[in-house]
Amino acid sequence: MDALGINLNLFLAQLINFGVVVGLLWWLLYKPVTRMLNERTARIEASLRDADQVKQQLANAKRDYEAEIARARQEAAGIVAQAQERARAQEAEIVAQARREADRLREEARAQAALEREQMLRGAKNQIAELVTLTASRVLDAELKAAGHDKLIAESLAALDRRN
Amino acid sequence: MSGRMRTLVVVVVLLAVAVLSRFFLYSGDPHVEVAPEELFAIGGFSVTNSLFTALLVDIILVVVALLATRNMQLVPRGVQNVMEMIVEALYNLFRNLSPKFINQVFPLAASIFLFVLVSNWLGLIPGGSSIGVCHAAGEEHSARLALVREGEYAGAIRFAPAAAEGDNPYTTCPSGYTLVPWLRPPSTDLNFTLALGLLSFVFFEYWGFRTLGIGYLKKFFNLNGVMSFVGIIEFISEIMKPISLALRLFGNIFAGEVLIAVLTFLVPLALPMPIYGFEIFVGFIQALVFALLTVAFLTIATTSHEGEHHGDEHGSAARAH
Repeated sequence: MDALGINLNLFLAQLINFGVVVGLLWWLLYKPVTRMLNERTARIEASLRDADQVKQQLANAKRDYEAEIARARQEAAGIVAQAQERARAQEAEIVAQARREADRLREEARAQAALEREQMLRGAKNQIAELVTLTASRVLDAELKAAGHDKLIAESLAALDRRN
Repeated sequence: MSGRMRTLVVVVVLLAVAVLSRFFLYSGDPHVEVAPEELFAIGGFSVTNSLFTALLVDIILVVVALLATRNMQLVPRGVQNVMEMIVEALYNLFRNLSPKFINQVFPLAASIFLFVLVSNWLGLIPGGSSIGVCHAAGEEHSARLALVREGEYAGAIRFAPAAAEGDNPYTTCPSGYTLVPWLRPPSTDLNFTLALGLLSFVFFEYWGFRTLGIGYLKKFFNLNGVMSFVGIIEFISEIMKPISLALRLFGNIFAGEVLIAVLTFLVPLALPMPIYGFEIFVGFIQALVFALLTVAFLTIATTSHEGEHHGDEHGSAARAH
């Protein structure tokens, strides 16, 4: 035993020394490190859970957004269709009104033209009659008698009426 | 000259220089003591170099533990990162062996690993064996390795009593004194390895009893025919566990120390380098083996034979199906 150096005091000293080291390392190293590792694991798990939750929320939000967009598009398409329908109706009404107005104006213009033509013709007839009378009186003043005058005027007027 | 030839020549020249270095780089007689050597005494208590190194290992481990945990961050850096990595790796390794008792065994097994590893590697610091205290050569020592200078075995390395060494011109100690190095890995001291083995033994026996109760003894003592004989063999094997643990660690690390000492003495240049590398590996493996065996023995101690038989029966049934 002596040759191998085995000695009870040294054996006990090494035993106690190692026991103390185990205690110190447990208190100073393993406990805080394992606590930190557990804390980190818990945090990572919580973060992963949160990330899953956020991903789920994001997916839900995206789905809602897409649904909302689809609904808005549908609504917009409805509104556009309605507006187009209304515009077409208004257009038709405006066109019809314009046509009516145009017809009315045309009718008025035609009536006015007819009236003016009537008046012009009547004026012209009178003027012509006066001119004819004047010309005839001047030409025939010396040649025709008063009775012959009136007869000629009446015949000329009758001929003029027939021509018109 | 081809590339291969050139390499061969370089290797041969290097080997020749390494071998010849024995004559111009004499490192002194290899200092190999089986027993730890006393450095000084405190009140009659002898402080040996292995105990001194064990205290140094304590200080190193405690300082590293303090540095790693003084300001712990959620995102680890530096020493904290390294120690977390080591602790986590050990925890996962031991948990695979003993998931049920991991919280009980982890502090002991991890401490065994760290302490033995640091102490093994501390003994590999080059020149560590050259720094020490001078003791009178006539003091009674255990057998030590020495170069025989005269007589029938001149030139051979033999175990010889320390007192027979005589003067050593390759030491800084005065004539009649020998150098006792400060550093000696505790693993090369049987007091330490036996203490560790005993601690491990008490630990797994305690948990074996606590888990299985008095039924734990049925593993060793029963009157079930041939199993009673097997029980006796198991009992002897159980008693030998701490001794085998202690001698395995002591033998491997002490042999490494001797190998390096002898090689440095014979071929001081180059050749000891790969052996240093190998001893770093051996130091790590032996630390791990001791820790793993402690956990494995705990698992064996806390498993009842009935459980094993049930397991076997289930296994046989499954195979039959």
